[in-house]
Formats: sequence, structure tokens, C-alpha cells
Amino acid sequence: MGLDRRGFVKIVVGGVAGTLFTPVIWQSLDDVSIWSQNWPWIPRLNKGEVKAKAALSKLCPAGCAVKVKTVGGLPFAVVGNTANPMSKGGVCPVCAAGAQLMYSPARVKSPLKKVGEGKFEAIKWEDAEALLVEKLTALKGQNGKIAAINGDETGSAGEVISGLLAGLGNSGYYMMPGEKFVAEKGVKLMGGSGQPGFDIAGADLVLMIGADALDSWGTTVANQKAFAATRPTGAAATAKFVYAGPVLNHSAAVSDKFLPVPPQATAAFALGLANLLINAGAVSSASDFAEYKALAAKYTVEEVEKATGLKAESMKALVDLIKAAKSPVVIAGASFGQGAGALDFVAGASLNVLLGRVGSGMTLLPAAPKAVAGATSSDKDAASFLAEVATGKAAPGALIVYEANPAYALPQADDMAKTLGNIAFKVSFSTYMDETAALCDLILPAPHPYERFDDALNPYGVAKPTYLAGKPVVKKPVQDCKDPVDVLLGAASKLGLSLGFDTYADVIQAKAKALGADFDALAAGGIWTGEAKGGSLNLGASALAKVAVAKTDDKTLAVAPVSNQANGSATLATPPANLLTVRETELSGKDLIVQMNAATAKKAGVAEGNKVKLSAGKGELKARVHLNEGVAPGTVAVLLGFGRSAWDEFTKGKGDNVYKILTVSDEAGTGLKVWAGSTVTVAKV
Amino acid sequence: MAHGATKEFKVTWGMVIDLDKCTGCGACMTACQVENNIAPMVDASNKMRTLSWMLVFELSNKKSGAEAEVAYLPRPCMQCGNPACVPVCPVIATEKNEEGGIVSQVYPRCIGCRYCMAACPYHARYFNWEDPIFPKGMEKALSPSTSARPRGVVEKCNFCHTRFMQAKDKARQDGGNPEGLADGAYMPACAEICPTGAISFGDVKNKEHKVFDLAQGKDAFRLLEKLGLNPQVYYVSKREWVRKLGDNYAATGKPGAAKKHS
Amino acid sequence: MDRALFPDGLERCSFGKFVLWMGFVSAFFLFGLYAMLLIFAKGIVVTGLDNYFGFGLWITFDLAVIALGAGAFFTGFLKYILKIDQLKNIINLTVIVGFICYSGAMLVLTMDIGQPIRAWFGYWHPNVHSMLTEVIFCITCYCLVLVIEFVPLVLEQKQLNKIPFLHHLAHNMHVNMALFAGIGAFLSTFHQGSLGGMYGVLIGRPYAFREGFFIWPWTFFLFVLSAVGCGPIFTVLCCTLMEKMTGRKLVDFKTKALMGKIAGTMLTVYIFFKILDTYAWANNYLPSIGMTFDQMFYGLVYGKWLMFTEIILCGLVPAIMLITPSIRNNPTLLYTAGILDCIGVSLNRYLFTVQSIAMPILPFDTWQIYAPNWAEWATSGMIVAYGVLVMSLSYRYLPVFPQERGMNK
Repeated sequence: MGLDRRGFVKIVVGGVAGTLFTPVIWQSLDDVSIWSQNWPWIPRLNKGEVKAKAALSKLCPAGCAVKVKTVGGLPFAVVGNTANPMSKGGVCPVCAAGAQLMYSPARVKSPLKKVGEGKFEAIKWEDAEALLVEKLTALKGQNGKIAAINGDETGSAGEVISGLLAGLGNSGYYMMPGEKFVAEKGVKLMGGSGQPGFDIAGADLVLMIGADALDSWGTTVANQKAFAATRPTGAAATAKFVYAGPVLNHSAAVSDKFLPVPPQATAAFALGLANLLINAGAVSSASDFAEYKALAAKYTVEEVEKATGLKAESMKALVDLIKAAKSPVVIAGASFGQGAGALDFVAGASLNVLLGRVGSGMTLLPAAPKAVAGATSSDKDAASFLAEVATGKAAPGALIVYEANPAYALPQADDMAKTLGNIAFKVSFSTYMDETAALCDLILPAPHPYERFDDALNPYGVAKPTYLAGKPVVKKPVQDCKDPVDVLLGAASKLGLSLGFDTYADVIQAKAKALGADFDALAAGGIWTGEAKGGSLNLGASALAKVAVAKTDDKTLAVAPVSNQANGSATLATPPANLLTVRETELSGKDLIVQMNAATAKKAGVAEGNKVKLSAGKGELKARVHLNEGVAPGTVAVLLGFGRSAWDEFTKGKGDNVYKILTVSDEAGTGLKVWAGSTVTVAKV
Repeated sequence: MAHGATKEFKVTWGMVIDLDKCTGCGACMTACQVENNIAPMVDASNKMRTLSWMLVFELSNKKSGAEAEVAYLPRPCMQCGNPACVPVCPVIATEKNEEGGIVSQVYPRCIGCRYCMAACPYHARYFNWEDPIFPKGMEKALSPSTSARPRGVVEKCNFCHTRFMQAKDKARQDGGNPEGLADGAYMPACAEICPTGAISFGDVKNKEHKVFDLAQGKDAFRLLEKLGLNPQVYYVSKREWVRKLGDNYAATGKPGAAKKHS
Repeated sequence: MDRALFPDGLERCSFGKFVLWMGFVSAFFLFGLYAMLLIFAKGIVVTGLDNYFGFGLWITFDLAVIALGAGAFFTGFLKYILKIDQLKNIINLTVIVGFICYSGAMLVLTMDIGQPIRAWFGYWHPNVHSMLTEVIFCITCYCLVLVIEFVPLVLEQKQLNKIPFLHHLAHNMHVNMALFAGIGAFLSTFHQGSLGGMYGVLIGRPYAFREGFFIWPWTFFLFVLSAVGCGPIFTVLCCTLMEKMTGRKLVDFKTKALMGKIAGTMLTVYIFFKILDTYAWANNYLPSIGMTFDQMFYGLVYGKWLMFTEIILCGLVPAIMLITPSIRNNPTLLYTAGILDCIGVSLNRYLFTVQSIAMPILPFDTWQIYAPNWAEWATSGMIVAYGVLVMSLSYRYLPVFPQERGMNK
């Protein structure tokens, strides 16, 4: 029986027709469509056991005690560590993006040696370390020739760096400017010593002057937890929060009261408040009370209104709140965590003295024992140091930059970058290709926080001595990096110097031991706390006598840099997983959006959506205007963290960098360089 | 018509968001993006194209100086009792069927017609404009809980549904009742991470869950209650101007219409 | 050159001229085709659609052409079911216009959905509660009906008709055309209604939402009536445009005026109910959800003038013009009324699509502006060009107009 052509056609046609009546073809089509979820370019999920490992996530300035969730050993998410009394299960938005940051395209993938303008060549670690040793050997013993800038206020790495410098006969160890440095100066001006702390959890009234304590000041998450504890949902609040500062920011949004105070009038506001409190019967046993009282008397409600625009009723209502409070605390700081003068701090802190809250609301932390014997502390910040380099007063031949980004995050940033560029040999220990690393001659990639040992002692703001430590979550770093401290210790030994340790892990264990803490418990997510020291403070009256309210005119506006933690920090451009949190009123395409109130805009001759140029000193910033009635009069609010010139496609060239238009001035009587309260001129483009 | 009918569930997962506690920090948005494998966008400032299952709105009382106030309002999917989106879907890619009342979204089923987006007044639904391409290597940090969706489908918050499944599995393993999870046994990523605890989550019909009382508090309200969508997300604020922004009152000028509870 | 293909005894322009014309139209078509391929390759991210405007020009275009294409089913219904014989003079044209409109709309829809590969899921996983499912069903089925109605006309082409099999096929299809006209009318009524229902059920969009009775049967019939109120006159306008372009008489004015009368009657009924509907919506529904009539409009782009243009200038006015014999019987006025009518119905579809979703429903949200981008315009233009190409070919080679020979002697 053969199959002829006709039969064949019949079978084919019949077969096709028959198949159409079976589910086969339709089901296959359906399967194909479902399968169309899985194009080869759609990433697959990782498989494996899900675990949560404790980690110290030093991505935000204070550091979050978190748990890193891993799948098959690979980190994918960050959750709070409920067992840790400081973070109590909370995570800041930056640390929440921590796992993805391990794979940030901005990470430095291997040691890099500069071979031309903006050009780098990947080199081997042994060559990189040899180069570092060679440069340091040449300058060893010549004081002033080797300098270091440290951007990590809390880690023991600072001890190693300063110890190394001291061992090499150099004293040029500088911290990036931060609140802690200024606050310690302020405490000195008030006749005390040590790092001040603030007990938000124990207060029934928290007055934040400038300090954005619920978003970007101090130990943010601990502050937020303390705030939250006083506000049980659905029940009465047990504490009042008041924010006085230039912008209706995240702290002000949840505060009971927001008082718009221009950035240059912070001290005047505090002293005006002191005047009203004294008039209402507040007295202090501080030795300089009489002097203080006389000084405060000059800050009448009229004077305060002139300086801040605040009406008498607002001030009086605040005084009533303070009087009604049993345990008020006043926190003073710059709205963006740096650049404020010590006088602003003293003016705010003096209120704690006046209210008799030193030792309870405001505390002083004792000096901590050192792990590295030769470690020193820095008495000058990086801004002052680079100012000296610019004028030729300092002439370092080598600069070590650790976890810092001075080329981006110092006032008149462009000038700072130029100055930095002129130093003969610069080495940056950095996880990411930031603006400073991009200027350096040698870049040594540092591990991501989940790949390294690290610690945090007394993050600024804590009321009690506090110590946290963490160990790596992953076995091997994603990139070819080495712990910077390990590298420095290795270099030290090649330079014939012994700092007493071989690795950073050893340093941290020694530090824990010195404090009386158990490293293993800390690494498992625990915390060590000590007791604040006693001691009293005076009102800082003699220092405060030098307070001067900077005058602004119609042509210039005060700049209020605003920090939103989610946008990153000086050493971290907005993480990829945080890009969504930037509002349409903050960034539009490549345009930064600056904010001012309608009256200010009218005076400056600009309107909603206008393109403007803000300039001060040699710096210039381009932006668009958005009207926001939550900005203090005569003030322009500019968001920090944009205008990156390095990093990745997500951040590079987006917006502009407010540091470019901040100008440094010398604070009367304290010798500090300050830039909070900088003024700018605004011109429509 | 399937409209107008609220399907009743024994367990009704709901959120109560305390707007007086939300600082607008954005941690919830980040945690959501991480949990649900949303790829970062090069221009995330183009809010007309972003995918933000959880979106924090900024509300203003429109006053100036010391009178000025703002509030931040996190907006997940409302998981409406009477969803506008479910009955319109031509291919049953979204359903409100499962115990707990979570509105599902079946990505392999969705044809991307966007009718559901046109239907949702909360803008909780997002069209996947582009394929989920992560920076090189970052796919190693993908969460195991949610597959990455191809372009061309609509997606939205599902109260971290995988966590619900995991909580039920855990209850089964521990000999508990998967249909009566304890308060806190199941938490979406946003509620878990919120540093001020502004987001409470639980079964709004279970007296043992704290959201039961919170949802009925005197300052509790839901968004656009008058439309009758019966959302499972509640908000709380002691500030009248904030509550007033929860619904439209232009016709009456009066806030605080009689509250309807499911 | 192609004279042998012309319908019996009819003159057409030279082949060269025809090629030039087709080339001109094809340029638009090809540009749109490029945009379409780009959309299939890169997704609709290349369009101006966004998170707020999931629906935009395409959906407006679809709804408008489906309404304007309604001449096919309604004329078919009147001719074959109600036996109004005079309509045979224009019935072929209505079929072609309908076919172009529906097939074009379907092509646009495949671009519009994010997963064209799953376009057939409407059949495979149908949600019987969704108006869109009904629309998908009816549009695809009705498009098939239109193909069936179009085929005999193609088979009547002079050369094809010489093949006995095709001749008989065409004849038999003609004989049974009443059946298809009936099916067409049935399907069309449903999906035109469902298109209205699609918006009427949008509970979260106060501009479009209607409650209970006002969804079914009210918005259903508003859409059906508005479609049959403009479809017939749109065919007349197409015919007149063809007459102007070719310089030949194609359909007698009496038939055109009859079509105008049909459309006008339907439009009058429609506009009466539409005004009632709008009044009830503004005075009852909107206040019940705390909103006001004024809140439905914003600035110039979303101003009230749009609604007044839709209902009064392009609704009430053409309705009166078309039902008044003295006006209707004046060609210029008939065409003017027809144009207003078609604009009014298209505007109605635009407002339901775009205004509905541009409006902030959350009190803290703001109005959003939508502007279609080049890719949407180009692809919509492609459909128009496609229509012109089909129509040009049909006119040149098919016996579309039974009166043409007689009227051009």
C-alpha cells in the first residue's frame, strides 16, 4: 500500500486541521507565552538557603547595625537588627540599599595607577603596595611631607592612620569636617571636654536647632526609634519635637512645630530663646550666668524677628512648651551635618545649661582607650588643611585619603579639587570611584562594609559611650580589594615600623578588649555601652559675645544645604536602589532643583521653573527654581549629594554640587573655618 | 457587572500608616525596590516612567512660614475590597481571590493593555516600560522572592506576597495555623524596614492584631473612601488638614464624611 | 497599462499618475511602518505614553475609527434587514470603510499592548466581567465578518469574476449577505456598547464613571447611538472626498441625503440622552463623591470648551442640521454638518480616554499633560495611509459604485 501525492496532501491537511481541534497547539502557544517571561536577558533568581547575618553597615555616616539577608551566600537585602538596642530593627534608606551597592558599577575593581589625565591602569596589589611604600619611604621623617585625610569619624582605622603618620615623623593627620569636631570645640569653649551626647529617648521635649536629627544628624535610626517610641500610633504622644531651622525638612515634617530660621541666624535664635527663658525665670548656677544674661538681653523679640523673621508669638509659644517640659533637650547643629561654627553649637548647648539639663539631656562622653599606642587626634579639619596647601603654608609630598571625598565635599569644591590635584602623590583608599579617587595617583580599592571588619566608636550624638563592630558577611569581596588598614599595616612593617598589629581585625579586637567589650558578641550584632562622664559646663558667654548675625541684602540669599540621607553622602553617591526616592521637586533630568519661598523668589526676581545660576566665591551652581513655603525667608535650600563628576551612569552629571558655592569664613574667636550660612547671588539664566 | 461587590475574606491583610510618624526618608521605597527586584533606572527623575510600587507622596498644607506643614504619605497598592482594576482586566491577569484579600498580578498572563492602570485612581499600577536590566553583576543581588518581569506587563505592590506564603509555610512547620497567623508573623518589606514604625501591618479583622484597633481609631481614614473602592490600607493622622487631603470635599466643603468600614 | 483590470466600462486615471499617488501615500505608510517596527523592537517606551497616560492617542484613534466605521454595520442592517433598497448605491463603500477602520484599529491594538505575543489571551483566558474582553471578541469577530463582506466585492473584479468558481462563490456569498449583515449588526452593537461600558465602569475615574443604570444600558447605548450617528455620514464624507479627487460622480445626492437623515436621526436621539446623562452626572454623581463639575476641567488643554464643543457645536448643531430637510438637502450644509458630527464623536472618545485619566483624583495630585509623540502620530498616520491605499486600489479595480457608470456618461 503506497502513499500517493493526493493521499499525502490529505494526511497533511487532515492532520493540521485535526491538531487544531486538540489542545496541543493552543497549550503550546500558551506555554510559549508564559515562557516569554524568560528571555535570556531577563535575569534569573539565585537559589539557595536564605540566611540573615549580622553586620555593621557603615554606609551612612553613623553606621547601622543590620542583618544582611543572603541567598546561597549572596547578600540581597538588608533588614534591621531587632536585637540591637541602638537600631532596634530600623534601617536607614542608604543601608537598605547596601546589598546592591556591592555590585555598584562605580566600584573600583582593582588597584589602579594613574597613567594620564583621567586615565588609569589596573595593576597588581603587590605593585600597588610597593609603590605606596616607595613614596612613603622617600618622605619618611620629613614632617609636613606626608599627610592623611580621614573621612571615618568612628572607626579605629583612624588610630592606625594617625599612628602610622606619627611613626613616619609626620603630624599631618586631618579629619573631614563633621559635627563631632565642631561640637568638641564648642564644649571646650564652655569650659568642658569630650564629645557631647544627647539623650533623645529620655526627653519629653526635643528642640532641634538646625540639626536634622530625624533624617541626617547623628545616629539617625536610633533618633528615629526614640522619636517613634514617643508616638504610639493611635494614642497620645509622650514627647514634643520642635524643629527650628532653614527648611521644613524631614525632621520638621513630623515635629509638632516648625520654626523657619535662616541658617545665619541660628545663634541669634538660640540666644533670643535664652532671653525669653531668663525673663520667664530661668536661672543657672553657671559661673558666667550674669554675663550670659546680659548678652541674651540684647536678643529681644524684635531683634530676633529682625534676624529670623519669626514673630513674637511663635517664640513665646516655644518658651511655654519648654517651660511645660520636664526633661527638655536642645540639639544644635548645621542642617547638613557640617560647616557650622562652634558658636552655633555653643548657643544651642547653652540652653541645655540654662535648663539644667547637662549630664542628663546633654551628656559628655569620656575619652576612650586607644588600641594603637601611637595614635593621635586631629586638631584641624581637612578644609583648613587644604586651605593651607592652597596658600603654600603646607606642602605635603604625599597624601593618604581614607574613606573621604574632599574633592567633592569641601566648600569651594572646585578649588579644593585643584589644590588636591597639585599634591605630588595622592593615594585613595576607596570602595568607589569617587571624585577624589579620580584625582589620585594610586587608587587602592577598599572592601564594601559587608566584605570587611570595621567598628564604630561613639557615633556622634549618642548619649552614652557606644561601640559597635562587625565582620564580613561574605567570604570573598566582589572586587579585587584589600582592607585599607591591612594594607597600611603591611606598609608600616615594610617601612620598619611596628604599630603592634598585622590586620584590622586584630586592631578591632584589641579595641574591644580595651573597652571591656566582647568582640564576638559585637560581631554577632551586639553593642557595648558605657557610662557618660560627669562634669559641668558653663554657658559659653565669653565665646557667644562674638556672635554676629551676618547681614544679607536683597541681592544675596543665604544657602541652606539640605541633606536627605537617602540621597547618599559625601562618600557615597545616591545608591542605585535609592534613585526613586529623589523627588521630582529635587531633580529633573540633569537639572538640580533649588527651593525658596515665594516672597524670596519675588525679591530675587525668579519664578517657579526658572533656570538660575547661584554663585559665590569662584563657584557657580546651575539649577531650576521650585517654590516651597517651607523655606526660611531670604534663604535658598539646595540639596546635597548631586553634581557628581565620577561614580556611575546613575549619578554622574545629575544636578549640581552645592559645595561648589559654599564659602569659607573664619569664625570670630574660635579659629574655625565655617561655611554654614554662606551667601550666594542668584541670577536668572 | 462585577462592580460594587466587596468580596469578604476571613483574613484581611491591611496596613495602617501613621502619617504623623513618617519622616519621608524613603527607606520603604528602597526596601520595596530591593525585595521586588525593580531594576534601577538611569533617569529616575522621570517619574512618569519609573516603577515605584511604594511611592511616598509629599502633602503640603499650602501655608507659609511658621504655619507651613508637610506630611509624607507612603502609597502602596490599596488592595481594594472592591478593586477598580480587577474586573476590567480582559485576561484575568489580576484577581482578588486569595484568603487575605491581596490583589494578585499574574505577570505571565498580563498582555500589557494598561486598562487596569486607567482604572486605578491611586496610580498604584505600573507598566514595565523596559526590560529589567541591572548593572553588570547586580543581578547577583536579586531577591529570591520575586521573578524579574519582562517589559510590557503591568506590575504592582502585592504586600510582598512571597512573605505571606513563607509565613504560612513556617506556621505549618511549627504546627501553627496558617490561616490565623500571629501578629507580626507576616510583614511586607516596607513595614519591616520603616525606621519610625509608621507602617503597621496585620489582619484588620483579627482583634489580636494591633491594626484591628488602629484601623478603627478616630483619626483613621482611607484614601478616596467616597469612591467606594474599600481599600485595605488605612492612614492615621491627628492633623485635620492631612485627613482632609484623603478624599475630595470640593462639593460639600466639609471633611470627615461618615466613615465606612469593611 | 492596467486597463484590463478596470471595472467594466469605467475610466480611471493614467497608470503613471496612479503610481505617483500610491507612492506619495506609501511614503507615509512606510514611515509609520518604521515606527511600528521600532515599537515592536523596543517596546512602547518609544511612545509618549507614561505612568499616568496608559491610554492616549492610539486608544482615542481606535475608538474614533471604530465609531466612524460604524456606517458598515448600520447601513448593512438597514439595507439587508430593513430592506431600504436605495442604500445599495453606497453599501459597498460602507463595507470598505468599515473594513479599513476595523482592521486598522486591530493593528493599532497589537502595537498598543505591551505583550503583542499574548494578544490572543483575550480568547484563551477571557474575563467575562471585562468590557474589554467583549470588545476584543466582537471586534475580531466583526472584522472577520467585514472580510466576508469585502470578499465578494473583490471577487467581482472583472478578471477574477471570469473564473467560474469565484463567480459562483461571490454570487452565493451575496445571496447570504443578509445573514452576515445580521451577525455584523449584532456584534457591532455589542462592542460599540462595550466600548462605552469600558469607560462607564471606571469607578476610579469620575469623568467617565456612571452608576448602575447609567452604565447599562445607558452608556452602552450612548456609544452605540453616537457611532451610528456618525458612521453613515462619515461614509458620505469619504465618498464626497473621492468624488472631488477623481472628478467623477459616484453616488447620487439623494442617497447621500438619506444617509445624512439616518445619521441625523440617530445623532438626535443620542444627543438628547447625552445631555440628560451629562446633567445627571454633574448634579448627582459628582457631588456624591465630593467633586464638582468645575473640578473636571483645567486650564485650556482640559477646559470646559472641549465639552461644549463636543455636545453643543459638534453634537446638537449637526443633529439639528441633519434632521432639518431643507438644510440636509443642501450639499454644502450636509457636508458641514457631517464634518461637525464626526469631530464631535471623535472628541467624545478623546475626552473619555484622555481627560478621564489626566484628572487628579487624589486631592494632593495634579493635572498631567499628555502629548503624543512622533511614534504615535506616525503609526496612526500609517493606518490612515493604509486606508487610503486600500481605498485607492478598490476604487481603481473594483466595481464599488453601482451608479458610477450611469452618472458619468
